[in-house]
Amino acid sequence: MSGSALWYLSRATGVVTVVLLTIVVGLGIVTAGRRRPAGESATIVMGLHRWLSLGMLVFLGIHIVTAILDGYVPISWLAVIVPFTSGYDTLLVGFGTIALDLLVVVMVTSYLRHRIPERQWRVVHWASYAMWLVALFHGFLMGTADQAGLRAITLACAAIGGLMACWRVVATHSDKERRRTIDAQEWS
Amino acid sequence: MTNIAELLETAGLTGRGGAAFSTAIKLKAAKENGAELIVNVCDGELGAAKDAWIVAHHLHELIEGAALVASGRRPRIRYAAHRGSRTAGLLATAGLPVLEVPHRYVSSEETALISLAQGGLARPMTKRAPFVFGGRDSQGRKVPPTVVLNAETVWRVSQIHRLGAEWFRSFGTSAEPGPRLVAVGGHVARPGMFEASAGVALTDLLDSAGGLPPNARHVGVGGLGGVVLTAAEAQSTIWDTPGMKRHGGALGPGIVTVWNPAECPIETAARMISYGAGESAGQCGPCMFGLPALAADWTDLARNPTGMGRDHLLLRLGQLERRGACAHPDGVARFAQSALRTLAPEFAAHANHACQKGRTQHAQFV
Amino acid sequence: MPSSSEAARIAVDRVLCTGHGVCAQTLPGAIVLDEWGYPVLRHEAVEPEAAALAVKLCPARALYLR
Repeated sequence: MSGSALWYLSRATGVVTVVLLTIVVGLGIVTAGRRRPAGESATIVMGLHRWLSLGMLVFLGIHIVTAILDGYVPISWLAVIVPFTSGYDTLLVGFGTIALDLLVVVMVTSYLRHRIPERQWRVVHWASYAMWLVALFHGFLMGTADQAGLRAITLACAAIGGLMACWRVVATHSDKERRRTIDAQEWS
Repeated sequence: MTNIAELLETAGLTGRGGAAFSTAIKLKAAKENGAELIVNVCDGELGAAKDAWIVAHHLHELIEGAALVASGRRPRIRYAAHRGSRTAGLLATAGLPVLEVPHRYVSSEETALISLAQGGLARPMTKRAPFVFGGRDSQGRKVPPTVVLNAETVWRVSQIHRLGAEWFRSFGTSAEPGPRLVAVGGHVARPGMFEASAGVALTDLLDSAGGLPPNARHVGVGGLGGVVLTAAEAQSTIWDTPGMKRHGGALGPGIVTVWNPAECPIETAARMISYGAGESAGQCGPCMFGLPALAADWTDLARNPTGMGRDHLLLRLGQLERRGACAHPDGVARFAQSALRTLAPEFAAHANHACQKGRTQHAQFV
Repeated sequence: MPSSSEAARIAVDRVLCTGHGVCAQTLPGAIVLDEWGYPVLRHEAVEPEAAALAVKLCPARALYLR
């Protein structure tokens, strides 16, 4: 594959990754305001959340590999996991690296969820929001003027994701409300 | 040196907090795991008073018992009592380490005390395995091996150690040996603390407090987690596990309360069930939604008793058993079930738009 | 852990359970939901593979085996 073909593939798979990531994060967010009883829809949402995140890894993998194999700009294999060590566009590639590092931690803790304290899993999973944000910065700011379509898609993901994150802050459901009400009473 | 666990095994001492678990088994596990000890002096159940009584009258023996039960060369012992209570004050004055418990019904539950002792909230924890072995809470925080024993149980340990297993077995029945403290209160002439044992007639307990008044209609045994009997049933019931089982109850933590005949008993029960609902720790769906729903259904049934309403209530009660982290919903359900059965005549009167108590608030049936 | 020839016993950590209801889908014979969406265990013994999957898929990590 020629250099520029690899570069285009890298950017294309990069945008697909951002889209899938936004969907995955969105699916996770949706569980915050569930109606009762949930059941079937909850299972579908959770199932997609898990499966799409795996599918996303495929696109992410191609995105990273093609970016490195394309010899036009110097990005080392080390830069994949250690942030800000890339020769090319150190800052923005670094963002991508940070997002990847966070993703790895989120996915590993989720895979090992039953073997680690629940609290640890929870704290790490919250970092998904930071990961998503950093990935978006990486994607949007690294785009060039001739790829307006891709940038638009990235922007749309940012907007939708931002709205969902706001919704997450205000969303509530009966279980959470009841717990919160009783939590405010004297218990210590 | 006497092996205290074997001694307690021979004596047949079981927990006096209501669960009646073999103290010998608990003690063995505690020693094997170097468990911390919490002595529950809370009198958490409605109408309870024996824990306070022990601290007021037998504190030295209680301390001796704790020393016998505790594990290790430098044992960790704490006495759990409600914040600001007279008991907490007496314990503090005696220089004992007090675990101050908030004034909540479920806060004196075994796992709630353990949670509080670890710096958490005084709310029950899911018990995957007994905490005597050590464990984790739901969020994965480690909990060191801890055992909780009722104050009376610990007091009895010191008595058995001093007076022997034979002495202990000279009281009660062979299945349920040993003396037991009982707080008799409510609508009686001389409410107080009495020492009895399993196998006595409930009537004898009531006589110690001046007897069952002629106008008394209902007697509660075991507080909110217990059952309610009619006066006639109370006068013919033997206070032991088989005798109480016939009424859906158990020996419980030694509480007998004669209900005030001036109040409509359905109202008395309603108050207790509502109290139970308000005391949910708010950690488990079936309890935090189910108990308030039960209280509402009870009030509805009191206002308008129908067969369908009764069936609906029974369905609710079935959905409360073993669906919480602790036995609070089970206790309230047990009580409500018992009250539903025992107060059938009163419900029938309500159905006929009359309340035998003639209280104003029931006039709305008309 | 029980051997694969024995049934596994499923339990719910009621404190962690917030009523997602996924378990009623993954263990349809053993679990139904009450009116608020919380699981009612019809019976504890379930087929080990289904049990393991259900435990893994609970979003609140409220299912466990014993």
